[in-house]
Amino acid sequence: MASRGKSLIGKVPLVILQLAIAFLVLAPFFWMLSVSLKPANEPFAIPARLWPDNPTLENYILAFRPEFRRYFLNSIIVSGATVLITVPLALLAAYSLTRYQFRILSVFLAAVILAQFFPAGAMIIPIYKMVKAANLLDTYASLIIAYITVTLPVAIWMLRGFLTRVPKTLEEAAAIDGARPLRAFFDIVIPLARPGIVATTVFVLIVTWQEFLFALSFTSTKEMRTLPVGMNDYIGQYGIRYGELMASSVMVSLPVIVIFFFLQRQFVSGLTAGAVKG
Amino acid sequence: MAYGFMLPAAILVAGLMYWPMIDTFRESLYATTFLNPNPTFIGLKTYEQLFGDSTFWQIVRNSIIWTIGVVFLQNVGGFLIALLLNQKLPGQGILRSLILLPWVLPGVVAAILWRFMYDPQLGLINSFFMRLGIVEHGVGWLAEPSTAMAAVIFAAFWKGFPFSTVVFLAALQNVDQEQVEAAKIDGAGSLRRLFDVVIPAIWPVAVVNVLLTTILTFNYFDIIYVLTRGGPLNATAIFPTRIYEVGFGQFKFGEAAAYGSLSVLVLVLFVGLLLLVQRRQVKAA
Repeated sequence: MASRGKSLIGKVPLVILQLAIAFLVLAPFFWMLSVSLKPANEPFAIPARLWPDNPTLENYILAFRPEFRRYFLNSIIVSGATVLITVPLALLAAYSLTRYQFRILSVFLAAVILAQFFPAGAMIIPIYKMVKAANLLDTYASLIIAYITVTLPVAIWMLRGFLTRVPKTLEEAAAIDGARPLRAFFDIVIPLARPGIVATTVFVLIVTWQEFLFALSFTSTKEMRTLPVGMNDYIGQYGIRYGELMASSVMVSLPVIVIFFFLQRQFVSGLTAGAVKG
Repeated sequence: MAYGFMLPAAILVAGLMYWPMIDTFRESLYATTFLNPNPTFIGLKTYEQLFGDSTFWQIVRNSIIWTIGVVFLQNVGGFLIALLLNQKLPGQGILRSLILLPWVLPGVVAAILWRFMYDPQLGLINSFFMRLGIVEHGVGWLAEPSTAMAAVIFAAFWKGFPFSTVVFLAALQNVDQEQVEAAKIDGAGSLRRLFDVVIPAIWPVAVVNVLLTTILTFNYFDIIYVLTRGGPLNATAIFPTRIYEVGFGQFKFGEAAAYGSLSVLVLVLFVGLLLLVQRRQVKAA
């Protein structure tokens, strides 16, 4: 570490920088929270007041209206189904990529990684037309299929990083002991790759929870909209009821923030393993 | 068995990613309008029209400014912040967790938050500047064509920098400390050590990071769409927002698809150029 041996005083500028960064990151969150707790009858002063005089939860109660609950439910269904399908599919694909050495598999991996960078904007028109032709507009299925497709490449890539580190010799030992390959997969590979599975799950969840473009294009009725699209609708709808808008923002963000902070360590190592080690 | 494991993923990626990419180009050869929803083949005519349209060139220019702006801030800023977080200081553990907050925040929520931060009357930024006496009246950062682009770039930087920082931080922790110590014994100052040892060591990670953020930023839709819808007067319109507007706002699927195909072309050229510059630099060094 570069700063070893420096006196405490020498560290003061760095601590100030730390505080500046914390401020940059937290100021918008602070503002979101402050406005969400502001009672409707407390007028907006100009320049704006930093913290409400009488903080209240009334905005949260108002914002948690039936349509918001519906958006919430839709988001949970779509994200949940995507995670439940993507992660096992990616696990199987990543497993065969690390355990079998066929040329076609490395071609496949390259193709999958390349696909990860396709602009969603460039694909949206044909995908929309497909969804429409299949009569799937305004359905969960359309979103779930689209989300599985866009999250699969990254999920395969992340899991592959973890599975390469699960030594093959363990499975071979199990095979000698008479275990069938599938059995070795469930009893040895999956438990050892668990941190990777957790990291991938969190990643897929974060991506699908906030996905906007497909949800905006594929859904048109209030019953089928997910949280991000619903939030976008709110901007005009709420007019100057910023308190409710911010309260719903807090409620939308909370689930991912909570999950993320519980599983943070595993997630960060999963994300950086691939990028740093190539 | 290997193929069986791979098959579902292969079918989805081929059918829903590769095929649409090809189909976008086919679609762009047809004209569909709101009044005439049956596609008629018109060949490359849409492209001809676009090349003669100043809006198209504005989109190209905006996309490049937006991408360079965000990628530069995210990577240079992200790296500097990673350097700071890599120092032995109190509270680093908490700070390392905290900085990830913006990245976890859903894009639409981040955009709503920044819409509010930039608000001429109620925004925290104007309130801050007014208290300091820098501005007299609230500035409509997102409503002025001259400031809108900078405003959306900053919001995107805020949302995206944690990713770069985390990756850089991991790379910094992998730097061979013996080399750093050796340079120190040779009398290299901390800046010298940074440029001669640390930066070369993390360079490969930096290249990957820049490429990754370039592609993701170029394709990023949420922040701009929610903050400005591409306005005012197309001042912040980039490929993804334009494609959405033309396709789903005006129902001109052919034109939207042409924008889509061209966005791929621009992105490929852009990334190619980046790789070329990077290779030159490595050779020159």
